[in-house]
Amino acid sequence: MEFFQYDFIQRALLAGLITGIVCPLIGSFVVVRRQSLIGDGLGHIAFAGVTGGYMVGLYPVVGALILTVTGAVGIELVRRRHTEFADMGLAIFFYAGAAMAIIFSTMTRMPSTGLLSFLFGSIITVTIADVITIACAGSLVLAVVYFLFDKLMLMSLDEDIANVAGINTGMINMLFSILTAIVVVVGMTIVGILLVSALMIVPVATAHLLRVGFKATMGWAVVFSMSSVLIGLTSSFYLDVAPGGTIVMTAILLYIIMTLVRQCIALKERREDPILSSPGNK
Amino acid sequence: MCEVRMSDIHFSYNNNVAIDNISLTISQGDFVAVVGPNGAGKSTMLKIMAGLIKPTRGQVMIGGKDMATAKGHGLIGYVPQNYGKNAMGFPATVKEVVALGLTLGSAAAKKNRQAAKHITSHMMELVGLEQLQDRRIGELSGGQQQRVMVAMALAANPELLLLDEPTSGIDYEASNRIYELLGTLNKNLGITIIMVSHDIEKAVSYANKVACINRKLCFFGTSQEFDATHAQVRHLWYYTG
Repeated sequence: MEFFQYDFIQRALLAGLITGIVCPLIGSFVVVRRQSLIGDGLGHIAFAGVTGGYMVGLYPVVGALILTVTGAVGIELVRRRHTEFADMGLAIFFYAGAAMAIIFSTMTRMPSTGLLSFLFGSIITVTIADVITIACAGSLVLAVVYFLFDKLMLMSLDEDIANVAGINTGMINMLFSILTAIVVVVGMTIVGILLVSALMIVPVATAHLLRVGFKATMGWAVVFSMSSVLIGLTSSFYLDVAPGGTIVMTAILLYIIMTLVRQCIALKERREDPILSSPGNK
Repeated sequence: MCEVRMSDIHFSYNNNVAIDNISLTISQGDFVAVVGPNGAGKSTMLKIMAGLIKPTRGQVMIGGKDMATAKGHGLIGYVPQNYGKNAMGFPATVKEVVALGLTLGSAAAKKNRQAAKHITSHMMELVGLEQLQDRRIGELSGGQQQRVMVAMALAANPELLLLDEPTSGIDYEASNRIYELLGTLNKNLGITIIMVSHDIEKAVSYANKVACINRKLCFFGTSQEFDATHAQVRHLWYYTG
């Protein structure tokens, strides 16, 4: 295929597929921990890091990494103190990140094109170095999820049970938050915050509709995510539209299709069930 | 030997005393029902025994070990209150949740895939959920979810099982099944059980000992003794607290 002959497409595909594997792995835990907007929240903090780094003469990605990891630690500490309002802490950090980004950008007068490239990234412009960076971050995520899978799953189910068993829940939660921050910063600067945040959540939401077990949900989320990258990237090439947006819209389309399939199955089951289909229950 | 020894336990928050100098010793193999009025500190006491809350004063020893050591040895199984809230929408099957119990227990069972599979099947059979092993826990009734949680705790092979209101929000039949299951586990496997309950009559009929608390320890003795002094104890709850 003509499509695969271009070097930039091959690099985009590699970066996209790695993102497509890594994001749902993190997202599977993020969703059940009810922190679905953490990608966006950390993205705003990273944006403040980019502008802040530029202001103090630091390489923007380093600035973003320092501030985002600090923000992730802060979000985790607030979540630990106010478990019943876990999303409240996330919202506070989200707004703080956005506010700081606005203040720093007006103070530094950083060119808006530079800001936008950090905020939205572009999967089409990734270099070999970018692919290596994202592959390293991806390997780190794979290793942590592999070795801590049971503990992460148990903690997502009930942290108290894990705590009673002597699992160091504080340390694992902190590690998971830092890992999420690293994925957000690395992904944001390479493929864009929109793609990273969306691939963390949308394929997982689609996989949830299959109503299978935890590991199977995770596996299907990766399949949906990689399919979105493949279909989205190919479509964007032939339709000449933005690849990041097309990949995200493909993921959302898969979610809509799966919801409709689910509804049809439920309707069929309802019709076949003698009790539910009786006149009194209609 | 899994004896639970609480010595001069005191717990307060924001100047409110929740537990006031409670000392008691629960022997290996006891089935203790912890009863008392709302806000008496029953769940707080259970959380102190589980090591989830540090007492303001006093010490808890489990099987002769301090709490930090006992927690690391997988001696304690814990079934929290209102588990159903967490289960709603959690994408895990019964089999997956029960197998998670192995994470809490010894590393040997975890590493041996065959042994892990056998333990998981056995635990599901023990709580009568083998037919539902591939169903997601969010799709089960409250009573079935509680049995899944008990099976998960048992997969870790604990010597002490702590349960916080295991029958709250569950219908009569389902709560009977849970009490019967706990009674069987206590008798056949010798697991020490400490269970907080609002259902005094039922809990006392299955337990062999009763701890009645209202911030202070109002009563600690056998179920027969509790039955005999029931009116007096009730008076203590509401007037002396």
